[in-house]
Amino acid sequence: MAKIHALMDVGKRGMMVSQSALQTTAHNIANKSTEGYSRQRVDVVTNPPVDDGNFRIGTGSNIGSINRVNNPWLEKQIEREGAQMAFLQGQSDSMQRVESVFNEQAVKGLNNSMSEFFNSFRDLANSPESTVARTMVRDNANNMIKSFQNMDGQIDAVTSDLNQTIKSGVVEANGMVKEIAQMNQKIQEVELARGTIANDERDRRDLLVKKLAEKVNITYGEDPKTGMVNITAGQTAILVAGTSSSELSTRDDSLNRTQITYELSKGGTRVDLTDQFKKGSLGGAISFRDGLVSDLKSELNELSYNIANEVNNSHTEGFDRYNSEGVHFFNLPADGNYAVADLSVNKAIVDDVGRIAAASKPNAPGDNTVANLIQSLQFKRVMGGGQATFDDFYNSKVGQIGVATQSAVHGLEVQKNIMDQLSSTRESVSGVSLDEEATKMIEFQKAFEASARVIKMADEMFDTVLNLKRL
Amino acid sequence: MNQIQIMNNIQKNRTELASLQNQAATMKRVNRPSDDPSASAKILTNRTDNKNLEQFDKNINFGRSFLEMTESALSQVGEALVRAKELAIQGANDTNGGSPREMISSEIAQIYNSVVEISNRRLGDRYIFAGHKTLTAPFNKDGEYAGDDGEIKLQNQKGQYVAMNLSGERVFQGRGATTEGYLKPPSDTPQSVEEVQKFKLSEADRQFQNEQTADNQLETRGPASVGRIQRLGGEDPVNGNSGVNIFAIIGGLDAALKSNDKTGIQDALEPLDQALNQINLARAEIGGRVNQLNATSEGIQRNIVDNKVTNSQLEDADLFQVMTELNRSDTALKGTLESSHKLMSMSLLDFLK
Repeated sequence: MAKIHALMDVGKRGMMVSQSALQTTAHNIANKSTEGYSRQRVDVVTNPPVDDGNFRIGTGSNIGSINRVNNPWLEKQIEREGAQMAFLQGQSDSMQRVESVFNEQAVKGLNNSMSEFFNSFRDLANSPESTVARTMVRDNANNMIKSFQNMDGQIDAVTSDLNQTIKSGVVEANGMVKEIAQMNQKIQEVELARGTIANDERDRRDLLVKKLAEKVNITYGEDPKTGMVNITAGQTAILVAGTSSSELSTRDDSLNRTQITYELSKGGTRVDLTDQFKKGSLGGAISFRDGLVSDLKSELNELSYNIANEVNNSHTEGFDRYNSEGVHFFNLPADGNYAVADLSVNKAIVDDVGRIAAASKPNAPGDNTVANLIQSLQFKRVMGGGQATFDDFYNSKVGQIGVATQSAVHGLEVQKNIMDQLSSTRESVSGVSLDEEATKMIEFQKAFEASARVIKMADEMFDTVLNLKRL
Repeated sequence: MNQIQIMNNIQKNRTELASLQNQAATMKRVNRPSDDPSASAKILTNRTDNKNLEQFDKNINFGRSFLEMTESALSQVGEALVRAKELAIQGANDTNGGSPREMISSEIAQIYNSVVEISNRRLGDRYIFAGHKTLTAPFNKDGEYAGDDGEIKLQNQKGQYVAMNLSGERVFQGRGATTEGYLKPPSDTPQSVEEVQKFKLSEADRQFQNEQTADNQLETRGPASVGRIQRLGGEDPVNGNSGVNIFAIIGGLDAALKSNDKTGIQDALEPLDQALNQINLARAEIGGRVNQLNATSEGIQRNIVDNKVTNSQLEDADLFQVMTELNRSDTALKGTLESSHKLMSMSLLDFLK
């Protein structure tokens, strides 16, 4: 037979369950905007029933567990696509910077100054005797050099920006790695010692892993026994092993490019892992810096060197105003260690434009044969093994950069759509819906009230029983 | 879910609006290479082309003024020769014997001086008849040439050159008026270092051979023959050259007039015709070059316009289209904002009071 105090007990437990459920609801609402938070649910289970003669009678409810609503496969997918997204984001940002260096729609650039350089030789051919025409040749040569050096400097600035991205990215990654190891420890403590699920710690750790994957490419796995994740960056660097973590570090190589290194053991050998990083924002920065940006720099080098070299070759065939043989127009290093930054007009010409050689023979101030030869270099197919003129070479570079930028921006857009889709899906699985929480709140509040009424009713029943004798 | 979607949609609308606004502000469809990569490379090529065409047009105008200057000088020489011939006919007439021949001689001397002056004409500070030695006067008062036979070549089209000068040696001394015995400067302009090197060698060689020919001629055209002007007409016995030395003819006529040499005066008539012929030939050549330049210039003007039209098609925005799209995007943004407001403000909590 049921007992009145058992009835009270059921009511009490019901109140406790409702209270816990209400607290979880409050926790959900409070964390609605917390990044990486998964909505939590109270699993209410029935209490073990008791035997009552021929029957088993229920004894109310109890809290089985508090779970987070989470789809691990979805999380994994978000981590993967997020890494790709960070890669593309970095690429499209840098690409747009490089594009602005080569954008002649807004400002006059190299295309313009190359034209003006060769046209000044045409003016010189018109009047080789004129000092004005000679001065224009010198000034336009200097302008062209400035254009080259300006572009070169801007490309260097992009490179050093990318270096900075890599450095600060490594610092951030190290911070996350440390926190992941701490989370591992907490999760182990909670789950192994007390046998409950560490919902909030797991959410936090999932988020950190996702963020880390946005920086560098990682592989990770959860140890099913301890619940701890182990993380390897690239193929070599074991960043998190259980509760211990190790750091990545950076150093600059001889070409002023920041490399990522990893210490195999404490104080042991440092290995260079730069080539292993191909994903995430760091991978993006590395591949962009060592790929397109460094290619562009060497192509600008090639273009400027060839112009200077061809002009020199022609110029030394000529004779200047003083009837002596033409000097080198541009200073070029004899040892082949050429850099755009070192390019300059020969000091002899800077000091005296009469040293510009326009004639093919001495004592012929009106002879413009060599001036004509130099201006015709603009149409000569010098670049790419005799395939392209200087202009072709440069213009096709601009076209290529345009294509690359377009596809980077487009790729990012597509990836954004994929990420949006995934985020929406995650939001519908793990996100907190206020409407739902409000409904739950009413439900549990009512249940709480009702449980309280049960206790009150049991109390009245006791009174009834105690007053039996007095009646 | 709603928030992410709403934010993305608003962002998308704003980006589109910003891009259209940029197009409207710059009036250009292509504002950076990625807007249209193939067009942006083409635009640069066209711009270079146009700069070159404008430069070629500048070259042509420059060459034209040089040629026109030459032409006007030569037409003055022609007039002087016609006058000299009139005077020679007068002088050859016996009724004009005695002192009138001296009077005629003084006018001929005047004509001689004016031809020397014309042969030393300058454009700016360049002597137009001096070949490549443009900074030294080509003729002294004895009519001796100090210039060379260099041609000043101007580029009037990609890879095409036109000589803008005539050497005084040829115009006034008849050297190279026909091909016999004299090596003309090559008509090609060297286009590479190797060609320049070859050109320099062949020029030195040519110079040497021409000097040798000239040395041979000196014997028949030395100072001793100045008075014997009949030697100056017809073909040269050594090299078959039919060119005449205008200074020598006028100088010889002057001498014949002064010395009252009737046959000498009569013998000057035919060479004077030849001289006039020589000048007219040179003028015809200049006319031909100017015509060629004019034709090229017309072509260039057309090309410049064509190029500009092409570039405009490539990079300029269609304003009508931009404005229409701007309106559409604006409406879309407003719609998004309004619907977002409605979506976001709806919650169960509003109804639980």
